[in-house]
Amino acid sequence: MSTPRFLRLAACTALTGLALAVPASFGQVTTEAQLKAAYLVNFLKYVEWPVQRPALTICLFGRDSLGPSLASYEGRPIGGRELKIRKVNSPEQLADCHELFIADTEEARFGAVLRWVENQPILTVSDAEGFTRDGGAIALVRSDGRLQFDVNADALARAGLKPSSQMMRLARQVIGSVR
Amino acid sequence: MKLPHAILVTALTAAGQLHAAEDFTELSLEDLVKAEVTSVSRKSQSLADVAAAAFVITAEDIRRSGAQSLPDVLRMAPGVEVAQIDNGRYAVSVRGFNGRFTNKLQVLVDGRSLYHPMFAGVVWELDPIPLEDIERIEVIRGPGAVMWGANAVNGLINIISKQTRGQAGGAVSVTAGTQGNGNVYARIGGAPADGPSWKLSAQGRYAEPSRLHDPSKDSVDRYSSGVVDFRLDNELGGGRDLSIWANASRSVTTELWNTTPVFSPMGGLRLTSTRPDQVLNNENLVGRYRWLSAAGVESSIQASIGRARLEIDDFAKEDHLVVDVDYQGRRAIGEHDLIWGLSHRSTRDDIDTHEPQVAVSGARTTIRQTGVFLHDDWTLLPERLKLGIGGRLDRATGNGTEASVNTSLLWTPTRSDSVWIKAARAPRFSSRGERDISILTGVSLLPVLSPAPGAPGMNVPVIGYFANNSHLGAEKAKGIELGYRKQFAANLGADLSIYRQRYTDLRGATLDRMYGCHPMFAGFGIAFDPAGCGYFGLPAGLPVMFNVNRTANNLAGTSRGAELAVDWLVSPGWRLQLSHAWSKLDMDSETDPIAHAAAVTAERSSPRHYGSLRSQWNIASDRQFDVWLRGSSGIDRVKQINLDPASGGAPAYHRVSGYVTLDLRYAHRVNKDLELALVGRNLIARHRLEYISDFIPTAATEVAPSWAVTARWKF
Repeated sequence: MSTPRFLRLAACTALTGLALAVPASFGQVTTEAQLKAAYLVNFLKYVEWPVQRPALTICLFGRDSLGPSLASYEGRPIGGRELKIRKVNSPEQLADCHELFIADTEEARFGAVLRWVENQPILTVSDAEGFTRDGGAIALVRSDGRLQFDVNADALARAGLKPSSQMMRLARQVIGSVR
Repeated sequence: MKLPHAILVTALTAAGQLHAAEDFTELSLEDLVKAEVTSVSRKSQSLADVAAAAFVITAEDIRRSGAQSLPDVLRMAPGVEVAQIDNGRYAVSVRGFNGRFTNKLQVLVDGRSLYHPMFAGVVWELDPIPLEDIERIEVIRGPGAVMWGANAVNGLINIISKQTRGQAGGAVSVTAGTQGNGNVYARIGGAPADGPSWKLSAQGRYAEPSRLHDPSKDSVDRYSSGVVDFRLDNELGGGRDLSIWANASRSVTTELWNTTPVFSPMGGLRLTSTRPDQVLNNENLVGRYRWLSAAGVESSIQASIGRARLEIDDFAKEDHLVVDVDYQGRRAIGEHDLIWGLSHRSTRDDIDTHEPQVAVSGARTTIRQTGVFLHDDWTLLPERLKLGIGGRLDRATGNGTEASVNTSLLWTPTRSDSVWIKAARAPRFSSRGERDISILTGVSLLPVLSPAPGAPGMNVPVIGYFANNSHLGAEKAKGIELGYRKQFAANLGADLSIYRQRYTDLRGATLDRMYGCHPMFAGFGIAFDPAGCGYFGLPAGLPVMFNVNRTANNLAGTSRGAELAVDWLVSPGWRLQLSHAWSKLDMDSETDPIAHAAAVTAERSSPRHYGSLRSQWNIASDRQFDVWLRGSSGIDRVKQINLDPASGGAPAYHRVSGYVTLDLRYAHRVNKDLELALVGRNLIARHRLEYISDFIPTAATEVAPSWAVTARWKF
């Protein structure tokens, strides 16, 4: 009967270890989610929207979001405009979104969400590799030990968005025709 | 490869060296593109915006676990109880009531239920899909019947296979290990730029017999299985797509049953063992079409046809054909996200049993189950408060109509905190086996005093028999749970949930009748029934008694518990994941002694604590070292064969001690297409029992330390 006690002890030790080690590494480690969040913020600087609004809004769709990683950017000025973060669940909530992030766990709903943003100046981004082929604008993909991005130029054009030439140059792969 | 690789930045060799997150928010796109990442997994493990206790197992987690079978993978999820019975067999449950035929859990592969209609449970010895083909597994604890169907009473295990577009090319993985463990997996696939993508994979597994617990010698549970899985995905444009799955699997294994009683005329009893071979075959064809209507309705219709055959030598043979049609619609409008669905499942079976060990009422039966549901996620306050509300009606043969309800409230006061509360009601329909199967369950010895004063007493063998009850209805559960998720920092998150669930009409048992094979039993008020004894091949005159129980919805109880999951990226190359579950089942005490014994058995077979600590360490970009420490507190399992007269007819229990064990994995990536790994599993404790089978008295086998080498090659 000593085994459960040992287990409890092991669990307690592990928890204590966790608690003690937290301050040491708090915020020191950069996660993939933070890297993705940095991309989302950066894209805002490399894309030109047809209409200028006083704030820039990143919208997060669905269950699994980059919310916590983006929180530190919220309210910061990006190119002189305030950055806003918002969760969206339906097409009616997309009105002032500049950028829409759809996590790869929502792959089943790509078609529907892309339909919602059709003909609207919204930059769609996902971390699913096939996203650009599905008609999304930017896919964050892991390649050669880096997190890179693919661009669908047609999707950008349909949305009336102008990507900077620098962004197109940095893309791992561009599909569709660049004007 | 479309693996959900999750990553850590180890060295940012961009314009400047970066050490803290603050620096890196100022990075330019050029810096980000150049930032090097190594492949330690860091994918969100929780579904952040879901008002339920949810956990995600990614493809990388599966690979790094070193596990060869699906139940072993599930051990990493908090609140999932996994106990190995023998080489191929497992008892798997979520939040208690674990058993070989666990029935309060829904398991889906790409939306197709893995239920065996006979037990309303999963036959784990049959691989539903190769582990390599799994994209992720979502484990949702707590009642989820509204969305996932009746029987998702304690939880849902949702297995999502890889989209074929990411599976072009070929892959081979070969594992060889101690105890004759072998696993070969191969896959080819194509993903042309235009046109459908596809993949075909096959897996074969083999294991030599494991060790019996008592006596210590080899058992007979040699295991072999194979699965072939085909999937095709066709994008049709305009939000339409068509997917087709076809798979066939087979498993062959043998069991050792210490069952067949041999009696001597004076009440002596000896048990002989039988070793029935078990062969399982399963074939499925599934099609799914998804489309978008002009009005913005997302629709999906999935139809499947499945055929299965279970053959257990000299015991039973069961064939069934399942036809399943499932429609789901979704419309997100304004503050509402509406989901509705309609499903129908029809199962036609043909059962042939070997009497008297097992008998069936109605050799051929068709069982139909129809369900309809509606669920709304209603955003009450943008960013802050979401109400989930849903209802479902199901009608099933032999069960009537049952309602399921689900209400939840998700409050997200900040971007990194969420609190949810959920109340739900879910039914669990009685299965074909529970209603129609009668079975010999065990043997015990009862000391009986002679009616003649002064004469010596004797130990009378009592044979236990479970008689079917075609009126057995649905079990019901009502639960409430509270959860809190917090992201303390970018590299540290935790998820805590507590729950209380009340069960009523649980399947228990009541005494049907007792009879003896000798006229002397009349002296004790027990009928002498030569015909009843004759059915079991026992001649009148043997001092043997039968104790016949009948299943009944006569148990109730309350389970309480708490689960904790912590995910911590200690350093860029080192990730720690802790999961711990505490649970307590309190069954109501029953006046019926048979029901009471069943209630006590249920209580005693639930472990109080179980959990695991996983460490994933990337020593370098091409080397990984993983450690998995896991354990459970002990349980008691009822002795189906109880030859100790001192227990006086009351149930006796085997103690299955608590354990802590350890798995290790070292992997070396030789080049970008070849990886070699050395895996050690169950390295602590040599003669460890995890479970003792229920209903079927399989001889207990030990879970022993094992080593294996895996080579995986991609081309």
